[in-house]
Amino acid sequence: MILSSLRMRVTVLAAACMLLAAVSAGAQAFPAKNKAITLIVGFSAGGSSDAGARILASGMEKVLGAKVEVLNKPGASGQIGYTMLSQAKPNGYTIGLASLPGIMVSIMDADRKAAYKKDSFQPIGLQVLDAGVLAVKADSPYQSIKDLIEDAKARPRKITVSTTGLQTGDHFSILQLQKLTGAEFAIVHFDGAGTAMTSLLGKKIDAYVGNVGDVLSQLKSGDIRILGVMDTQESPFMPGVKTFESQGISLLGGSWRGYLAPAGTPKAIVDKLSAAMKTALETEEVKSSMAKLGLQIRYMNAEEYTKIWDEYGTVVKELIPLSKNK
Amino acid sequence: MGFSVALSPGNLLYAFLGSAFGTLIGVLPGIGPAAGTALLIPLTARLPPTGAIIMLTAIFYGTQYGGTITSILLNVPGEAASAITCIDGHKMALKGRAGAALSIAAIGSFIGGLFATIALVFLAGPLTKVALEFGPVEFFALMVLGISLLMGLAGKSMVKALMMGILGLILAMVGMDPVRGAPRFTFGRMELMDGLNFVPVIMGLFGLADILENAEESLSSTVSAKVGSLMPSKQEIKDSVGPIARGSVLGTVLGLIPGMTGSMASFLSYSTEKKASKHPEKFGQGAIEGVAGPETANNAHANGALIPLFTLGIPASPTVAVLMGAFLMNGLIPGPFLFREQPELVWGVIASFFVGNVILLVLNLPLVGVWVKMLKIPYSILFAVILAFMVIGAYGAESSIFDVFIMLLFGILGYALKKFDFPLAPMILTLILGPTMERSLRRSMEMSQGDFSILFASPLAATLLVISLVVLVSSALKVFPGTGKGKSDSGSVGK
Repeated sequence: MILSSLRMRVTVLAAACMLLAAVSAGAQAFPAKNKAITLIVGFSAGGSSDAGARILASGMEKVLGAKVEVLNKPGASGQIGYTMLSQAKPNGYTIGLASLPGIMVSIMDADRKAAYKKDSFQPIGLQVLDAGVLAVKADSPYQSIKDLIEDAKARPRKITVSTTGLQTGDHFSILQLQKLTGAEFAIVHFDGAGTAMTSLLGKKIDAYVGNVGDVLSQLKSGDIRILGVMDTQESPFMPGVKTFESQGISLLGGSWRGYLAPAGTPKAIVDKLSAAMKTALETEEVKSSMAKLGLQIRYMNAEEYTKIWDEYGTVVKELIPLSKNK
Repeated sequence: MGFSVALSPGNLLYAFLGSAFGTLIGVLPGIGPAAGTALLIPLTARLPPTGAIIMLTAIFYGTQYGGTITSILLNVPGEAASAITCIDGHKMALKGRAGAALSIAAIGSFIGGLFATIALVFLAGPLTKVALEFGPVEFFALMVLGISLLMGLAGKSMVKALMMGILGLILAMVGMDPVRGAPRFTFGRMELMDGLNFVPVIMGLFGLADILENAEESLSSTVSAKVGSLMPSKQEIKDSVGPIARGSVLGTVLGLIPGMTGSMASFLSYSTEKKASKHPEKFGQGAIEGVAGPETANNAHANGALIPLFTLGIPASPTVAVLMGAFLMNGLIPGPFLFREQPELVWGVIASFFVGNVILLVLNLPLVGVWVKMLKIPYSILFAVILAFMVIGAYGAESSIFDVFIMLLFGILGYALKKFDFPLAPMILTLILGPTMERSLRRSMEMSQGDFSILFASPLAATLLVISLVVLVSSALKVFPGTGKGKSDSGSVGK
């Protein structure tokens, strides 16, 4: 009896050891040779989300020694790609790009009927923070955010402000600004930065909300003035431009782009991917190609990324009813 | 500055490929220019935007060259716009002057194309200056004017045209509401959240429907006439100068007017030449003027029709609407802003028109024999190959099997509509213009917080809206009393 129980213990121990070995071997063997990692991008090829993902993919390829192939699955503001990612095998060979707040909105807005929840994904890390900006035309009377807010309070719903689309980061930033200050704007939704910017330059609208990456050329040419950057720190692409925070309004906004794996992907593999992402983002090659596109690198590991998601999530959740009920 | 873009090796290749495909589509009687352009859009999906647009525009104006070949040699118009060329062109072929007819047609096409492109260059400059005058309000008014012109000049039945136009607007509403964010007509399908995908819809409506219709008849192609010497005689050249000059102007002007088709341009040119001629009795017996004028006019029209597209973002014909869809797919919004935002691309594409027309001249004259051989492929095989290509194309654009079904569905719909004699053009035009029009209107409403008077507060917008009203009322008055005069015979030229 004693003997057999001892033998059993030995067997269990041996089995446990083997299992452990197998697990760590699994992580060590990841990524297996000649097996490619698929990176799902829920936006069309050629856009700035896609461009950033492709730069990272080629950087990670070198670090991991395996192919990282970008698969574009555009549609429904990324929702088609997110659905596909949530249903992929959680083995590390399928990962996907996620854009905040877009992915949160698709989950929180019941009308979108998303087939996934936040728990369907395992965050890997954050790559880009394209901070939001509030801009006016260079000859506009508004010199600071305060000027604009005061006028908007004096003439509620008369000052027109553009977004680059409904329920985008810009839209939530304006809603948040209204909530924080009590000012009321006439919010005009455009489709994309180009049409909105032209309307600002043609004086059809009074103010413009977009991302840093979209306004650099107009800033350089002197056509517009940036009243504030919606970040905790100044943008490296527009030194000297004040943040909202430094003007007394604690507003964070813009696009956060990171990467997710399907929930259930082993932690060892997620860690490996996250580390590879960090290493890739530190290479000169990746840094310079991203700078050329005006994409600001802001690396965060899985935990920090989850934290941002949750914090921003609470802000957006309250604003969703407002975003639909205009 | 455009030529440095147009003459880069890659873009030269795209212009060449586009010209070659365009000629091929023109040669094959089963497929029209709209269908052909639609079919080839997936081919350009992986190209950079400039290359894609250069290739697609080359396909578009290339079809006008190809259509001539079959009209002259076989008495079968490859394109509706070349139908009138059959009358005198084929007679010339029977007299052994096919080569001369082809040469004159190609040279006329070349000059017509160049003339319209030069007109585009001169008109584009001033228009880019007013670009910033166009905000949401002015854009809405411009779209209303565009659609009114298209409906007003729809031809046979204005009621049917309006019905199809409204169907197109309804289809344009599929997807996420741009202001409230609520899904519309999506039937719970995520694939429809962004609206109907344009490529499978037009591939079905034009490509598949055309093939289904052509499959009804057993088309057998027989190559009859010999080409003979390509060199026109001195007298033929002398007789062609006038028609080519008049054709260039006529085609370009008609190209500017939305709703005028290439076949109207060639038809009008033919009747103009007949009136202008000192010996009208020669028409129908193989008069070179009857080839030179219409062939010049239809090419000038093709390039001229790009003027409203480039400068105002209004597609003047279904084929141009297809092209506009290709622009939108590449993230380019045609219109006054394009010159401001993407000057390199626009001028590169415009410069490529000059390049493309030269390539087409070279492709068409010495290589006539090659194109004629293409006609020997049996239709049963050709249709099967095109169908396979369409399925791959519909799938390939976004790797979506859903799009394949959309294409099949719209193919059957298009076929049924054709059978009941509903025009497809108004539907495709409103489908393309619908989203821009809706967004402009709703943006205007957002700006004014729901006050409609904003539409008339801008003098530019108010003027455009008044012109639209005049166009609609005057064409309604012309059509409804049924005098029969408004119904030009252009409708019958196509078949």
